[in-house]
Amino acid sequence: MAHGPSTMPAHGLPAAGRAPSLRRWDGLGYVLPAFLLLAFFFVLPVVALLLRSVLEPTPGLENFAKLLTTPTYAQVFLNTFTVAGVVTLASLLAGFPVAWLLAVLPGRWAAFLFGVILLSMWTNLLARTYAWMVLLQRTGVINRALMDVGLIDAPLPLIRNLAGVTIGMTYIMLPFVILPLHATLRAIDPAVLQAASLCGANRWQAFRRVLLPLSLPGVAAGSLMVFVMSLGYFVTPALLGGASTMMLAELIAQLVQSLLDWGMGGAAAFVLLVVTLALYALQVRFLGSGRMTAGGAG
Amino acid sequence: MRTKLILGTAMALFAAGPALAEDMVFTSWGGTTQDAQQEAWAVPFAADHAGVNVLMDGPTDYGKLKAMVEAGSPVWDVVDVEYDFAVQAAKEGLVEPVDFNVVDRKAIDPRFVTDHAVGSFYYSFVLGYNEGASSEPPASWADVFDTDKHPGKRAFYKWSAPGALEIALLADGVAPKDLYPLDLDRAFAKLDAIKGDIVWWGSGAESQQLLASGEASLGQFWNGRLYALQQEGAPVGISWAQNLTAADMLVVPKGAKHKDLAMQFLARATSPEGQAKLAELTAYAPVTPAAQKLMDEATVKGLPDQHTEGQIDLDMAYWADHRGEIADRWYAWQAQ
Repeated sequence: MAHGPSTMPAHGLPAAGRAPSLRRWDGLGYVLPAFLLLAFFFVLPVVALLLRSVLEPTPGLENFAKLLTTPTYAQVFLNTFTVAGVVTLASLLAGFPVAWLLAVLPGRWAAFLFGVILLSMWTNLLARTYAWMVLLQRTGVINRALMDVGLIDAPLPLIRNLAGVTIGMTYIMLPFVILPLHATLRAIDPAVLQAASLCGANRWQAFRRVLLPLSLPGVAAGSLMVFVMSLGYFVTPALLGGASTMMLAELIAQLVQSLLDWGMGGAAAFVLLVVTLALYALQVRFLGSGRMTAGGAG
Repeated sequence: MRTKLILGTAMALFAAGPALAEDMVFTSWGGTTQDAQQEAWAVPFAADHAGVNVLMDGPTDYGKLKAMVEAGSPVWDVVDVEYDFAVQAAKEGLVEPVDFNVVDRKAIDPRFVTDHAVGSFYYSFVLGYNEGASSEPPASWADVFDTDKHPGKRAFYKWSAPGALEIALLADGVAPKDLYPLDLDRAFAKLDAIKGDIVWWGSGAESQQLLASGEASLGQFWNGRLYALQQEGAPVGISWAQNLTAADMLVVPKGAKHKDLAMQFLARATSPEGQAKLAELTAYAPVTPAAQKLMDEATVKGLPDQHTEGQIDLDMAYWADHRGEIADRWYAWQAQ
């Protein structure tokens, strides 16, 4: 995390003279395969889909007008941002202590904990989501246990609603907030906390006035990552959510697969893309493009 | 399953040279139903046609079907679709007309054949219930809406399709002959009353899981899926009162690479033998009446066509005309 925004080349302008800038393009040939792959299998189809949004069924912006004025779609947008926001907040609250623990644990224990987190991340997403279904449903493990113990009389509604989506997605997003946070926290000199306590700060004050401000870049990077990923999430909301918690990705799938309304599907996809790019622009503006990747690799 | 077939094909290609083997692709909805279709139709078809492999793909995805046809090179040769979609697809020019020189149109129940599609099988939406959920078994669609008498969640088919709206109207006291045109306001108002108690199932397997586990107490199900549950000994009951018939149809995507073979496949699938075998494996009813003679008594008893008293045919022509507008309203209502 040594790269601050100040060391990033500003807007691609050559830092010193012409020759180095030319040399910088020497490696271009090597990126060509990846570039072509992206162009043909990502950019082209996306553009094609976006074109349909303004061409079908008739040329014009009617799909976008419909998308923005129909109450159902407004509800879906609201759901999407609510879920993404709640999941981001929950991941941060749950992830911060873990990231801190990772930063202060002795090496071997930290490696073990890392292993656990990464293992959960590498386990198949669908399998993990199904596991949550088994736990959360009315006849599931949690409700059965609570009813057997006598804490509740009727099953708690933990699935097919916002609660189910939030629980499942927070769990899946945790690593993406822990990893950048950990990178930031580890770079903080523990001596500053000692200094704070020497100056008379209690634990809360040391956290709020010293640790938290210093960890903000990691908080921001992690939150943005989780928020953006959550916006376009499909599997977990589809399985743990209900019809009334439908998110954008589900709507797009429904429009394209069931209704064959590719114009509307394209329009919804376009809106999702614009929001995502806008958030990415925010991140680049305030954190520098290197931040998130540097944090993620930590 | 598919991997195995592809491996087999690959080996056949190496052995016989590329010119001999032809791979046609049959796409359906997966699960127990597609396994049965493979056994009843694809295996004997391949046996009769030397050098032809019938590969399985799935699940059916209308978006993919449309994309393939528009791109001009459909990978699928025969696709199992819902009846109302088959009618709409024909209107949109997504499917080939059926070659009735190859397929015997007269042999098929006229309810289940159109110029562009032949029946795959026909089934009923029936009232299914978990026997442990309620002291008295539910007997009518009205019971599904009576949450005092029958507590617990109600399972309904998630997608906009013929069935749930009709059930709501019947439960509300509409006479079967007055169902169409559907009174959508009334149907949605009726569904609204139990909306908080509805769980939606998007696939047959999901519906089975919901009912067998007791996650849902009762609801709207495909009769074949309940039959399969009962065969496994799950505590599941069926009420056939006012069962609603619908059908899956077989279509050939426009521009299919093996169109001629596909037409022969349709002939095989709708033959009395193919239909009888499928019915035996799935408890879905044959679309070809002559198949009845080839079936044993036990199989015949479990079929929807043994429950014609009070049986109602869902009106596919009505649905094909109103599919879009009902879907808009259905999904809007669901998302509220």
